[in-house]
Amino acid sequence: MLQLKSLINCIDNSGAAVVECIQIIGQKKLASIGDRIVVVVQKQSPGHAAGMSASSSSGKVKRGDMRHAVVVRTKQRVTRRDGSVVRFDDNACVLINKAGDPVGTRVNGIVGQELRKRKWSKILSMAPMQA
Amino acid sequence: MNVAPLSRRPLGCLKTALRQSRQQNALVCRSMATATATSQSAPGLARLPDHNFYQLKDSKTKKLRSAFAVYQTPMVKTEPDPKKVVKRLPRNAPRVPAEKLPGFLIPPPDPMPMLHATQIARMDPTGARTALLAKTRQGARPGDILMVTHRRGGEPFSGVCMSIRRAGIDSAVLLRTHLNKVGVEMWYKVYNKNVAGIEIVKRARKRARRARLTYLRQPKHDMGSVSEIVAQWKKTRKIMSTRGGGQKGGKGKAKPAKK
Repeated sequence: MLQLKSLINCIDNSGAAVVECIQIIGQKKLASIGDRIVVVVQKQSPGHAAGMSASSSSGKVKRGDMRHAVVVRTKQRVTRRDGSVVRFDDNACVLINKAGDPVGTRVNGIVGQELRKRKWSKILSMAPMQA
Repeated sequence: MNVAPLSRRPLGCLKTALRQSRQQNALVCRSMATATATSQSAPGLARLPDHNFYQLKDSKTKKLRSAFAVYQTPMVKTEPDPKKVVKRLPRNAPRVPAEKLPGFLIPPPDPMPMLHATQIARMDPTGARTALLAKTRQGARPGDILMVTHRRGGEPFSGVCMSIRRAGIDSAVLLRTHLNKVGVEMWYKVYNKNVAGIEIVKRARKRARRARLTYLRQPKHDMGSVSEIVAQWKKTRKIMSTRGGGQKGGKGKAKPAKK
């Protein structure tokens, strides 16, 4: 249930730690797992922030960058077709470029299985686990 | 006007039934729905209107079935002439209780338990799933650690049981655990065929004094990951060596662990 101004954890190694949702792509009011959103990087992950000042040409994201992202976990319950329901303790996303490929090279953390149905197979293959 | 044969007017029979019920309104408190499977001739009952709308013949059982609830028409000796205006019985006519009328069966006051029972009998012929939900010593309780195995494969999900929703065929358990340091909660329907088995890994040491352990979401009370406990339990059960975990429940059996 992510909307304008929602703060979301970024769980890849793109350099962003916390991002803010500014738009949901598609005619939707609320984003759920598998939805594509537009975000602004609000906080950089500490390791990347330090390296950024030294070498800004790492190709990773900076604070204030506007990027696309895919929601991979939500606190709001998601019901599956067989009646089972999944709920995570946080909201998380993975940054992607306009073509739909992930910006980072690694996903640290569990992602929802709904990504499979939405054909985010690249993110799924990077994730250590799915639930 | 109404020259079309009955077969071209699929709702014609409904009209007749409604008209009859209107006529009998003063006599009968209410008419009732029967089971959706209708036998062709029940003794003492008025026959259903002979019509395609009702008569869906099952190719295997050769029984008549209908996708709709069929309302029994009350016993009438003669079919009322539709051309004639049907007169209503006076309001102060003596009321006859429905059970005293010939050909009437009193429906149960609440049909849902019966429906749930039939559905549970179909989804759980062995009774193992029902035993898990039972409020006995063998059944699961909030605070226990349960492991749910899927029929489709994949890793079994195990977690602390936060609550048990006992709602007939919709009964479900809520499990919580941490996966990769992120809290995950899952509701699983107990009578779901995709759920191959639900096993009790560890009983709660003390009986939880709440029915819903929502306080487990607070960091102070969070039990964290249960993977170590489950791994230890698996070692003792020696089901790590083979694909026993998935195969055991493959025949739609939930296996509550004995204690």
